[in-house]
This record gives sequence, structure tokens and C-alpha cells, in this order.
Amino acid sequence: MSDAPDRPAPAPTAAPAAAPDSANPPCVLLVDDIPANLRVLYESLNGRDYRLLVANGGAQALDIAERSRPDLILLDIMMPDMDGFEVCRRLKENADTADIAVVFLSALDDAADKIHGLELGAVDYVTKPFHPDEVAARVETHCKILRLERELGQRNRQLELVRDRILHSMVEGVVGLDVEGRVSFFNPAAERMLGQAAARLLTHEIANWEPAPLRDTAITVLAERREVSVDELALPQADGSTLPVELRAAPIADADYPAGAVLVLRDLSERRRVEAKLHRTSSELSRSHRELRAAQMQLVQAAKLESVGRLAAGVAHEVKNPLAIVQLGLDFLEQVISFDEISTQVLADMQQALSRADTVVRGLLDFSRERELDLRPYAVNKAIRNSLQLVRHELTQRNIAVRTELDVDIPDRPFDADKLQQVFLNLFMNAMHAMERDGTLSIRSDYAPVTAADLGPHARDAGFLPGEHVIRIAIEDTGPGIAPADLGRLFDPYFTTKRQGEGTGLGLSVTRNIVTLHGGSIDLENRPDGGARALLLFPPQNAPADTAPQQAESVAIGHAHPPSATQW
Amino acid sequence: MVTHTVSKKKILLVDDEPALTRMLRLNLEQTGRFEVREENRGTNALRAARDFRPDLIFLDVMMPDIGGDEVAEQLKQDPELRKIKYAFLTAIVTKRETGTGAAEISGETFLAKPVKRDELLAVVDELLAE
Ligand SMILES: Nc1ncnc2c1ncn2[C@@H]1O[C@H](COP(=O)(O)OP(=O)(O)O)[C@@H](O)[C@H]1O
Ligand SMILES: [Mg+2]
Repeated sequence: MSDAPDRPAPAPTAAPAAAPDSANPPCVLLVDDIPANLRVLYESLNGRDYRLLVANGGAQALDIAERSRPDLILLDIMMPDMDGFEVCRRLKENADTADIAVVFLSALDDAADKIHGLELGAVDYVTKPFHPDEVAARVETHCKILRLERELGQRNRQLELVRDRILHSMVEGVVGLDVEGRVSFFNPAAERMLGQAAARLLTHEIANWEPAPLRDTAITVLAERREVSVDELALPQADGSTLPVELRAAPIADADYPAGAVLVLRDLSERRRVEAKLHRTSSELSRSHRELRAAQMQLVQAAKLESVGRLAAGVAHEVKNPLAIVQLGLDFLEQVISFDEISTQVLADMQQALSRADTVVRGLLDFSRERELDLRPYAVNKAIRNSLQLVRHELTQRNIAVRTELDVDIPDRPFDADKLQQVFLNLFMNAMHAMERDGTLSIRSDYAPVTAADLGPHARDAGFLPGEHVIRIAIEDTGPGIAPADLGRLFDPYFTTKRQGEGTGLGLSVTRNIVTLHGGSIDLENRPDGGARALLLFPPQNAPADTAPQQAESVAIGHAHPPSATQW
Repeated sequence: MVTHTVSKKKILLVDDEPALTRMLRLNLEQTGRFEVREENRGTNALRAARDFRPDLIFLDVMMPDIGGDEVAEQLKQDPELRKIKYAFLTAIVTKRETGTGAAEISGETFLAKPVKRDELLAVVDELLAE
């Protein structure tokens, strides 16, 4: 801790010379041009615990003082070669002798002289003719004062040493400021953290310090004499990087007298590293959680499909034979009997009922078959357009307008194109049936970070996280929407609100199976302004366990490290 | 009419459902072009074939005693019968997979139930023409 700004972080000061003590008695120089006076002085002090030196003139006194460094000089004023005042002046001028305590001896009982002597730096005055006891008492007093002063100095230096050692070993950077805002000291940690700013702090007025938050903090703490802190500020380093630090500034309290301030800097880079690591770990955790959920969902789906599939195959077999018998029976009767008009109509109705029954059974079989996907890179927009094409005619007939907003920047990803078209077809059909006549079917697709509001129950189950980039498809209609009581059952196999023969209740179930097998999610909800909305999410890559993790990782890291340059 | 009768092709129908084989037979016979025989026990299929010497056999895939595929396998193993054409009737393969008419799945011909008369006749003609 240097007092001089040009030595920012000096080594602790060396131990001072030993103070006078019993092993090292005080040294007193007696100066007088009159030998009788010298003798009296000598006699007064001899035999006590002093080392005594004598000089009979000013020049000799200076000479001895410089060589022997007495602790105290009893100095006569009136001397022929050089008067005592001059000797004192020269002693004080010389750094080596300036500390020596001077006591003037003079016959002059003149107040002005005494003042002059004290002004020159003397500590006391003894008037001639002197009494030996008085001389001895004065000398003893001054030696005691000297000893105490030196002890105090030493104690101070020891305290400084301790302080230096503490400041040196501190991981926090400490910068001391005086009342004017000049740097009075800083420790090595502060020097390291301040980096490029360190030199500026020493060479510039506080008003020109950089970076600005450091300047403003220092100015505020000095002006307002209250604690100020900055949670995070970036200090530019020599290598072009920035170091995140926390800054706390406190005024140095010295009764009512302002004594400057201390700035304490704490390096946040380690904490940031730990935080980033924690963030990574937690995003890894949620990713594995998500993978687990996805795997579990697929297992559940597979198990459901397995049993539904077996059931469907059994039912199909049992139903298809009777259907075939009726079908062929009807066909035969048509060949061999000539029908009147009414009978022909009856026959036509029976044929139609048969084909409807067949459709239902076929749907069942389709449903049991959704286990395998034929995956190839495919554009989701293409599936949307193809499916739309299939219902275009019916939409026109029902006077339903179609509005599409398909983002061209959606990346291709592995899809089973046929099954994906089946998904959209099911959803368009449902929307169409819901609206019956007149209305608008809107289809929007994009590739964007998913918001928390987008995450329905299925999306959350599938492990989608807010902020994750996903392929998003929203299908909205202006129909009556879904009864709240039905919301939880829509996706159950065989759940339908349609009349018998009109709905199988398998559409949404099949749709969700297909979407889930693609690693995606589908949720159906009511729109605030009426009608229903289906929202489909697909991760840009197919298998959650495959390429998706890297994707998620880079997203997570992106969040953890905002570019610090923008902070300025 | 006589010449017609002589050139009638013979078709053997193997399905465990008598009403179904009856309907198939009636529709086929009604054309006047085929001689048809029904067999409702899968295990009797081979004997019936040896007896009847059909030009074409329809085999139900799922029968309680023996699978149609197994019957087909035995036909192929038999030097006398292996030339006979056959097709499967199935309730499991859907029309989406067969389309209308017959579908070839790994080299075999499938007809999805419920088959319509027109589809049936088209497939028969096709198979017999080969
Ligand atoms: N867009 C929609 N608007 C209102 N209700 C819908 C919509 N889509 C589906 N639903 C409801 O969900 C039910 C189940 O749909 P789905 O599984 O496709 O079977 P289905 O269409 O055969 O009834 C429908 O019967 C209907 O009640
Ligand atoms: Mg539906």
C-alpha cells in the first residue's frame, strides 16, 4: 500500500530500526561552546542510562549528529561559529537527521526566541543557568516521549504490515480512494481485475475513469457518502475479453471527517462458470427427463396399439366374413332378380350401408397398423397442401374459406408422408364437420421457439421446453368448439360426439399416435374467440434421443451466456 | 352350349364359412363360365384339389384348423398340384393395401373381404388368363 499513486501495489515496507530500549540506551548529544556549561550538562546526565556525546560548536554538532544519529540534542543557541538556530535548521533540512529531537539551551529568556526555536522544529527549551536536576528531568521526559513515539511508529508499521498481508492475500480487489478521488492504494487482486482500467484510474481524474459504472460508483460514494453497489459490471481485459465483477463501494467512516472511500471488487467469472455448468446440468437433466417421457409415451402408445391392434384384427375378421356374405349375396340377387323401383332403392341403401360398415372396420385395421413409419426427409407444408387438396372440393361445397400462412423456412425433417397427410386430413375433416357450413379454416405453420402458452398437456408430456425451436402447425376453425367436459377425452379411441355411422371416434386417436411416433405432440383447445384450435409441434429432428439433444444443448448454452458486449 | 360346358374352368373355394363359399359359388356359377366346388375344412383342401383338379383355388387365410398359407405351401410341395393357381381371401389385409381387386404381397395374390362380385370376377379372369 503505497501512499504514492505511482506505486500501485508495493511490497510491504521493511521493518523499522529498533527503538531505544535498555539494551540500547538513548544517545544524547550536548552542544555548547563554553566548556563549563558542557561540564554541568555532562554531570547532570552522567551516571544515568544515557550514551553521551559532546560538541563545542555548531559545525561539530552537525558533524556528530550526522555520524552518530543521537536521539536527542541539547543545543546552545549562542555559539560563535554557527548559532543553534542555524544548526537546528540544517538538522531539520537533512532527512537523516530531521527526526532528532532538539532541545534549546539559552540564557535568553525571550519569548520571541523561544517561539523561533520551536518554529524551527525544536521540541523544548531549557533556560540558563540550568539546574542539573531540571536538565535531567527534561531529557528523561523527552527520551520517554521519543521511545513512545518510536514504539507507536513500530506498532503502526506492524499494523500496516498485517493490513498489507491481508490485502495481498484477499481474493477481492480493494481500491482505496482519498477525499479527492485519488487512488491511495490498490491490492494485487484489484490490479488484476481492473486490467486495462488500472492505469486509467491512476492517470486520470475520477471524472474520466472508465468503464462508466466504475466511475459513477466512485463519484457517488464520495459525493453522497453512502454505500453503492453494482451487481455486475464488465471490466475490459488486455486480451480483449471482459471480466464480470461485482462492485461495492463504501465511504471510509472517520467520525464526521470525510476520509475517502474503498471500492471492493469481486470476480464473478468463477461463479458464472459454475452457474453455466449448473444450467447445463439442469438442461441435460430436463433433456433426459424429456427423452424418458418420450420413450415412456411411445411404450404406452405401443402397448395400447398392441392391444387395440389385436382387438381390431379379431373384430375385423369376425365382421368381415358376414360383410362379405351379405355383399356377395346382394350382388348375386341383383344379378338374378329384376327389381322394381322401390326394391332397387332398398338394394342401393343396403349396398351403401355395407360399404360404410366396411369403412369402419377398415379404419379399425388402419388404426392397428400405426406402429411403423416410413421416414424420409419431407416438408410439412407439402403434407398440408396435399391434404387440403383432398378436401378442397367439399370445403367449397360447404362454403368454408381456407386461409393458409405457411412459413417457407421450415426445415425438412423425417416424416412418414402418407401418415402425415392422414393426420392433416383427419384434422381438416374434423374442422369441416364442426363448422358444417360457412366458416373459415386457417392453417399456419412456422419454425420458431415454442412459447410456454403453446405447451398443452401433450406437448408437456412429450417434453417440449419453452424456447426450444420447433416446427409448429396451428389448425383453427370457426365451429362451435369443444365442450369442456369432452376436452380430456377427445383423443381416446372410440370417443365421438357424432351420430352413429358418421364418426368412428378413432380419427384423433390415430392422429395422436402418428404424431407421437414422429416425436411430436398434438393438443386441441378452444380458441378464445370461438372455434377449436389444433396445435402440432415437431422437433426439427426426429428421434428425441438422436440429434435433438445437441440442438437443445446449443439452445441452453445460448441462454446461459448472453453476449457480455451488449452490456455496455 | 355344349362346347361352353366343356371349356368351363374349375374353381375350388376353401373357407371355413359355408355361407361365404356358397355366395362365392353362386356368383361365379351365375356367369355360366365356371364349375365350382366348396370345401369348408382347410385340412380337406388338398384332397379336394386332387379330386377336383381345379384351375384355380381360393384360400381363406385364417381358418380354425389350418392356415391358408400352409395349404398353399403344401400345394407347392405336391408335384401333381403345384401348377394350380391360387389366391388368398383375407379379412386382415385392408382394401387400402389391396386397392380394388387383388394385390400382390410378396409374390402372392390377395383379395380383401368383403369382396364385391365385380372385383371377384375381374381377379378370376386375370388369374386364369395367365
Ligand atoms: N375441430 C373440432 N371442433 C369441435 N369438436 C371437435 C373438433 N375435432 C374433434 N372434435 C371432437 O372430437 C371428437 C373425436 O374426434 P375424432 O377422434 O376425429 O373422431 P370422429 O371425428 O370420428 O368423431 C369428435 O367427435 C368431436 O366431438
Ligand atoms: Mg374425425
